Amino acid sequence: MNNTITLKPKQEIKLAYIDNIPYEIKDGETILSFVKRYKGKKAVPTLCDAPNLDPFGSCRVCSVDVALAKDGPVKTQASCHTPVMPGSFIYPDSDRVQKLRKNIVELVLTDHPLDCLTCEVNNNCELQEVAARVGVRDVRYPAGKNHLDRKKDLSHPYMTSDFSKCINCFRCVRACDEVQGQFVLSMAGRGFDSHIVKGQETTFNLSDCVSCGACAQACPTSAISDVFESKSIVADKKVRTICTYCGVGCNLEVAVKGGIIKSIQAPYDAEVNTGHTCLKGRFAFSFYNHPERIKTPLIKRNGVFEEASWDEAYDFIAKELTRIKTDHGSDFIAGISSARCTNEENYLMQKFIRAVIGTNNIDSCARVCHSPTAHGMQETFGTGAATNSIVDLKVTDCIMVIGANATDAHPVTGAKLKQFALSGKPSIVIDPRKIELANYATYHLQLRPGTNVALLNMMFYFIIEAGLEDKNFIAARTEGYEAFRKNILKLDMNEMERITGVDRELVKKAAIAYASAPKAMSFHGLGVTEHSQGSFTVMQIADLALITGNIGRHGVGVNPLRGQNNVQGAADMGCQPHQGAGYYSVSDSLNHEVYENFYQAKLPMHKGYKIPEMFNASLDNKLKAMWVIGEDIAQTDPNTHKVVAALNNLELFVVQELFMTETAKLATVILPGASFFEKSGTFTNGERRIQAVHQVVEPLKGTKVDGQIIVDIMNKMGYAQPDYHPDNVLKEISQIVQFFEGVKWDELGINGKQWPVNKGGKGTQVLHTKGFMSGKGKFIYKDFAESQELIDHGKEYPYIITTNRELEHYNCGAMTRRTKNVLINTEDVLLICAEDAAKHLINDGDMVCVESPRGKVDVRAKITDEVKPGILSSTFHFPEVMLNNITSDVHDSEAMCPEYKVVACTIRKSKGKYKEKV
Amino acid sequence: MNETDKNNISKATPPSGAGGLKFSNETMELVKSIIKRYPEGKQKSALLPTLHLAQAEFDGWLSVPVMDHVAEVLQIKPIEVYEVASFYSMFNLKPGGKCLIEVCRTSSCWLRGAEDIIHHIEKKLNIKAGETTPDGKFTLKTVECLGSCGTAPMLQIGEQYHENLTMDKVDSLLDTWKNSDKHSTYLDTNTFRKN
Repeated sequence: MNNTITLKPKQEIKLAYIDNIPYEIKDGETILSFVKRYKGKKAVPTLCDAPNLDPFGSCRVCSVDVALAKDGPVKTQASCHTPVMPGSFIYPDSDRVQKLRKNIVELVLTDHPLDCLTCEVNNNCELQEVAARVGVRDVRYPAGKNHLDRKKDLSHPYMTSDFSKCINCFRCVRACDEVQGQFVLSMAGRGFDSHIVKGQETTFNLSDCVSCGACAQACPTSAISDVFESKSIVADKKVRTICTYCGVGCNLEVAVKGGIIKSIQAPYDAEVNTGHTCLKGRFAFSFYNHPERIKTPLIKRNGVFEEASWDEAYDFIAKELTRIKTDHGSDFIAGISSARCTNEENYLMQKFIRAVIGTNNIDSCARVCHSPTAHGMQETFGTGAATNSIVDLKVTDCIMVIGANATDAHPVTGAKLKQFALSGKPSIVIDPRKIELANYATYHLQLRPGTNVALLNMMFYFIIEAGLEDKNFIAARTEGYEAFRKNILKLDMNEMERITGVDRELVKKAAIAYASAPKAMSFHGLGVTEHSQGSFTVMQIADLALITGNIGRHGVGVNPLRGQNNVQGAADMGCQPHQGAGYYSVSDSLNHEVYENFYQAKLPMHKGYKIPEMFNASLDNKLKAMWVIGEDIAQTDPNTHKVVAALNNLELFVVQELFMTETAKLATVILPGASFFEKSGTFTNGERRIQAVHQVVEPLKGTKVDGQIIVDIMNKMGYAQPDYHPDNVLKEISQIVQFFEGVKWDELGINGKQWPVNKGGKGTQVLHTKGFMSGKGKFIYKDFAESQELIDHGKEYPYIITTNRELEHYNCGAMTRRTKNVLINTEDVLLICAEDAAKHLINDGDMVCVESPRGKVDVRAKITDEVKPGILSSTFHFPEVMLNNITSDVHDSEAMCPEYKVVACTIRKSKGKYKEKV
Repeated sequence: MNETDKNNISKATPPSGAGGLKFSNETMELVKSIIKRYPEGKQKSALLPTLHLAQAEFDGWLSVPVMDHVAEVLQIKPIEVYEVASFYSMFNLKPGGKCLIEVCRTSSCWLRGAEDIIHHIEKKLNIKAGETTPDGKFTLKTVECLGSCGTAPMLQIGEQYHENLTMDKVDSLLDTWKNSDKHSTYLDTNTFRKN
């Protein structure tokens, strides 16, 4: 029989038969996916198969009959992991396989409790469904030995297990290995004694589990679940929205009953996270209705907050703002928008500050994280955003991760990077700390903090020395290369080796690995930007992509891992003092006219204050009022003493917040905003993906959606702005921001669109495929310069402390500290190597006083090999420590991003008595 | 002891040391030479022989710290060690007696009186199969076919087979071990040292 249809020469269609009817095969397809594609998702029952895991073939429930000829002799094969063979005849539901499946399920049921009515997953259990489907009415086997007496594990704040319900399908083990890459779960024993273990027969709580919940979501029964019973069907509805904890932009499916959030799962059809998310996204939601939420506007009178009505608060603010504007001028007022808020809210905030107040004093927290990325990439490529998408990890040949601790700060992307490194392909980690990814990487360049520029210059040197530049790409698409090359070749590698503290041979190997890979992707984080040479480092990373031709294709590019969920969006929307919505310079007269016409308002043409400049201006009495949305600048901006002094010097300080943060405590007026569960809008993730955020629950009584607060005050101050709705604001944005041209609220779909989105609504996965916005890519050479902090204070304060993040907490922790995450990660700790600890007689767990030229803090020591001698590291998630008392406000020379990563300090053992209160 | 408990790992640490526990230099050299038999990056292949060496070196059983050490030496995840160690019955995850008696109970031996042999030992040592004598001298286990059907009934102590058993033979065997200070091990004849 001929099993191919010849259409044109060389174009053949491969066929296989389902119940004797021919269907076309896709390359590399399994029998299961083939049958499902034509006969529907439920055509073949499965148990061990899962949408985000590799085929496994352990349960055999998906068995089908396969023959080589029509109605010929059949062989039973597990369809999930058997490739479909052209010309084969598949009988997915023959009497034989029906009997076989029934028998398999019966055997499973001999060792499974039949307590379905009281089980969490009642009516949402895959075993139950399969048993119903194959028609089990009775178990023919006698009751024998079983595992029904296995004990539950309720030790963990989130994860639970009840292995009496385990069917040994391995889905949890595979999720732990293939999705998260944590290797906590496995199958121990054999035969009847086979059983799932966490670590070496320990509990979730004592194992290395990072509570991502991938195993719980993968489990077809309730053998592994979570305390929120996320697999139960008690909810009235499920709302799909976007996580607010980081720039990855995970899709979440939130189950709600009676206006209360019950649990969260990760949808499998999300391109960003494909059924995965981290413990913050999945479990850390209980902050939203925490008793400490601020539920009414508060006005501070005589140093005490008094409750006020919204009208009262608005009147007070409008009157004060008008007074300050009249008495001192618009430039005495400044706003800081929130990268946690939606694009629409950010757009409105900058519009309010520019069109209603009349100043360009608008900034966002991008200033303290990725402003150097925006600046550096604009200088080299013309566009300050990730060039590629995370999905490109599937096709790249090499990754370079610089100053980004993704497994803690961007867990879902971190897990993908880890999987890449585990695949054995070359992976380079450049980080002063032995981060988790470094354990899996091919090369870990453990440089001294603050020497990125020197290290990357070494990489250029070795690439040029080995002749690995992409000469065609350089000639066609770049400029400035000759001068750049000359400068690089002048460098003394011995000197660079001394500065960075990294063996030149290791750097050479890494450089050659990056340059010789057909496709190489780079990722960077705050370990690049939060330095005095942050912008320069970003330019170098961009130039590394240029010199090797790693731009404009899938699987290459420069990919900043953006911190906040919408920090990309905050900048896109114009929450920057020098550029308006869509990145047009406010000082350019043509743009200025466009903006004035669009906003129907007089706008200033001079640049406004960046965040650090706002603090300086306040201390110099050049700023009288500030408005901050959802950012705890007092806890998270560097040099706390100075920040607090600046905020205290204001006449009016308006804060929109969920909680009484360190910043809110200093406010004149607090306006209770709403969390992301309580609003709709769009977030733009680190790969320029504009995704729809849907309101899950109504704003808590007394609070308001932040965008509506801005609209209210705009109207109060005489500017007519329609009520906040993502649809109408997005429409307004699409008229002024060119790369949002085709973005429509109703057309975002489940996976959003990556900007630029053209008029027809088509998004863009890869930037710079043909050319750069600025014409040609620019090579910009920069010399290494020692941080001013170390030049000024290095002698007196010989240690370097660098700040980092922990998985369980998010920045100031205002949200995560109000969830059970605090039971997992209880306090900030100081990472210190054994050698340094011994020098100061510090034991693991001792309190250590860390003192810098700005102040001192007490923090608990954790002795580790993650840091080298002379280097310390700590987080600033907890106000009890207030680590930013010691950080410096030295900042990036170009973008003014503070240098959180290099702080000179001394250490001594303390008894915890030096804790400073702000 | 029920079936599920049997493989449950013991949290006890071996008497030879906790925490900083390490292979002796000699064993370490041996492990390295075993690793070299496999292609670079495939050092996990050396897991089974390394576990045997570990069990022989650390009192006849594999504690968590011992398995962690093996994982460290082979640069694999601890769980990869555990899943293998718990799969094979020759690895003990709990401390047992110095002398581990493994009596075959499969068909041929059973037909030739293995049950009587087992009962005899149980009575003599005053323990049940699967248990250890209070003095820590003997552990009695029943095992499946050891491939010595022609000489049934038989039992194994360490690497040694004891065949065509009679009650007298068993008695003298027990007496010998009772007066010995040795640990039974599968590596009596320096299996890996032959290389």
